[in-house]
Amino acid sequence: MIKGIGGNIIWVDLAKGEIEKRPVEEDMVRHYLLGAGYLSRVIFDMVPVGTDPLSSRNVLGIATGLLTASMFPQASRHVVAALSPLTDVWGESHAAGFWGPELKLAGYDAILFTGASSDPVYLNIENRKVELLDASKIWGTSVFQTDDWIREKHDRQSRVLSIGQAGENLVRFAAVMNDRDRASARSGLGAVMGAKKLKAVSVRGTGKIEVADPQNYLKQMDIFYERMLANPFTEERAKYGTTNLVELMDHIGRLPSYNMKQGVFEGYEKISGETITREYLVKPRSDWSCLQRCGRYTRVKDGPYKYIGGSPEFESQSSLGSRCGNDNIESILYSHHLSNLYGMDTISLGGTISWAMEAWDEGLITEEDTGGIDLSWGNHETIVRLTKMIALREGFGDILAEGSARAAEKIGRGTEKFVMAVKKQEMAGQEPRAQKSMGLAAVTAARGADHLYSFPVLDEAGFDDEIRERFGEQYLPEMADRLNPKYKGIMVKECEDFMVVVESVGLCKYGTQIPPEFYYEDVALALKIHNGLEFTVEELQTIGERIVNLNRLFNVARGVTRSDDQLPNRLTKEKAPKGPPKGQVVELDQMLDEYYQMRGWDVETGMPLKSTLERLGLAKDAEGVV
Amino acid sequence: MTVREFVFGDPDVCTGCMICVNVCSMHYFKVIGPAWSRARVMRVEPGLDFPLFCRNCEDAPCIGSCPEEALSRTSKGVVIVNNKKCQGHGACIAACPYDAIKLNPDTQKAIKCIQCGRCVERCPVNAIWITTEEELKEKDSDGRLAGHYERNKEVLYSKGGMS
Repeated sequence: MIKGIGGNIIWVDLAKGEIEKRPVEEDMVRHYLLGAGYLSRVIFDMVPVGTDPLSSRNVLGIATGLLTASMFPQASRHVVAALSPLTDVWGESHAAGFWGPELKLAGYDAILFTGASSDPVYLNIENRKVELLDASKIWGTSVFQTDDWIREKHDRQSRVLSIGQAGENLVRFAAVMNDRDRASARSGLGAVMGAKKLKAVSVRGTGKIEVADPQNYLKQMDIFYERMLANPFTEERAKYGTTNLVELMDHIGRLPSYNMKQGVFEGYEKISGETITREYLVKPRSDWSCLQRCGRYTRVKDGPYKYIGGSPEFESQSSLGSRCGNDNIESILYSHHLSNLYGMDTISLGGTISWAMEAWDEGLITEEDTGGIDLSWGNHETIVRLTKMIALREGFGDILAEGSARAAEKIGRGTEKFVMAVKKQEMAGQEPRAQKSMGLAAVTAARGADHLYSFPVLDEAGFDDEIRERFGEQYLPEMADRLNPKYKGIMVKECEDFMVVVESVGLCKYGTQIPPEFYYEDVALALKIHNGLEFTVEELQTIGERIVNLNRLFNVARGVTRSDDQLPNRLTKEKAPKGPPKGQVVELDQMLDEYYQMRGWDVETGMPLKSTLERLGLAKDAEGVV
Repeated sequence: MTVREFVFGDPDVCTGCMICVNVCSMHYFKVIGPAWSRARVMRVEPGLDFPLFCRNCEDAPCIGSCPEEALSRTSKGVVIVNNKKCQGHGACIAACPYDAIKLNPDTQKAIKCIQCGRCVERCPVNAIWITTEEELKEKDSDGRLAGHYERNKEVLYSKGGMS
């Protein structure tokens, strides 16, 4: 029996209103762990090709990892997955918080939702009691109102995961929120919940987690704690969260500005981590067992953008700020706050608004389209106004709620070339002409443009020692050079394999990737003392590869080939106009060749080779696909 | 005269990570589970995280409430539960003004903080410390901490957030 987990999976048929509990299967864990790996397998098996992501045939999964709710540093995470309504391919998103650990304490590791309800419902879990309840009173309310209402009705200590109005309105980049301001934001999975008429999942768990090696548990966790706290990144992270990446990224020309025209922003100081920390920070916040405490709690005291709440991190500052040419920090904080209330991905939100702003700047979108709204660069009133209009699908917001790729397709007139997306998902705040690995990572990520699926940050901040340790001396200095495309295929591949393992055990990328303090052997040790599972480093690496390949097969089955693993022309053909990467383009083809070769995928098509799939035990899954 | 010490926390500093809670349950009962912990953490918006422990009251109503006389104060000033005497009546829980006693769900014996300090050692942000009423008064001369606890007492001590 596997220790340290809840032990059961809840299956909810929303069409029939039926609930079933099934035990976690050990064989599945041996091959896919839990979390992202588990959902990759289940959703691959259950969602047929040709399914409309917003139809009842889509399957929505929420899963914790094997170490979620453990005492390992930053072990708070859960993953949400489904066929994505934004990309029409594999969709997954992750969040920290307390919801995942609470699910474990209630005795469960994951929930799978099939079918769709005809009326709004929410799933309420109180230990053994699991029930679908009427959500008509909270349908139409914000994430915070839903959180308040459910905890008032059931238990003040309940942890709530929900959608806001954006998910209900099927905004294609709606988030699934938990613990008020934690977001599984990417891939538009909030819209999948909305389409299923599932407003929320509340959990109260008062049980216990029995670990495999209780005698040595605290002693070993102490060692992990000490290492994490001694890492110089921890202090910096605690002080700024990720907010000071604005100034660090501007410094290396990697801060997307003006819809990714350039990687430096003249107003960066006004939206910087220093400014937020000095003027608006209330305190750092942690999630379960978190020593990094990158969460911020902030306040704008007066004026039109007054609020108090969970605050932005770097991605929101860049997407709603520099990317839109906006240096009004209070509007960024407020738009981010609204996105938490409505439940929206701030990356796609800012990416979509900045697309519209550039099209406006080029005269391709006019007041006739916008209903009189001025889309000039940096118009912060517009950004805040559109945040609300998109969530509620009002006026011009209705088109933008489809995301930039679909909006451009609808409007046409050459606006398509300003879409900064891969597989219809807006790119995150990493200007890849200043860090080539990020360009490659954005196209290979299964969920569309994304920095986290691989999170290749080893070339970002002088991690030469870790590169030497993880890859070998022979890859230096090229692999550590942000602007050199050489060996980036190797790095991105290895990072993806490790990151999907991290997402399958419920840990955070902070501590495992930046800073790169914990690696496979630490995860293996934690799985041993917490779960009683013996995995070698090689076995974990193979599981990582298996998950990535299964995600790829999921996408290949839906038509994805090398021609979809492409960046916007701006990034591969137009030279960076200013700043440190001036003159640079992303040498994507070269990196992709290397990546496919490392993966054992066909270099022409990007499809996994038969020999690769056989090695990973996925040959059967490729039947009728490859 | 015994010095009555207790663990106390700053809700402006505490980040809500639950490490104190987990260290406690793992140290004493070898499990992770807030219901097995003598500490609790309550998040109260906006922006407060309260780490909560036995306050080692001078009048200690828990001691007098127990029909089995299972609670007593040691010579070092710590209020302890005699497991042999405790029958799990829960009278001490009802008597405690700080919701600082609960029943171990497995043994049905009362558990409470005995100021061992394990959690204090592990808190990554130094939000909790062992103090006395006099010391705390001095440290909190502007009443910031007392104000936080006073304003939120109904939520913190509602007998609803015991685990």
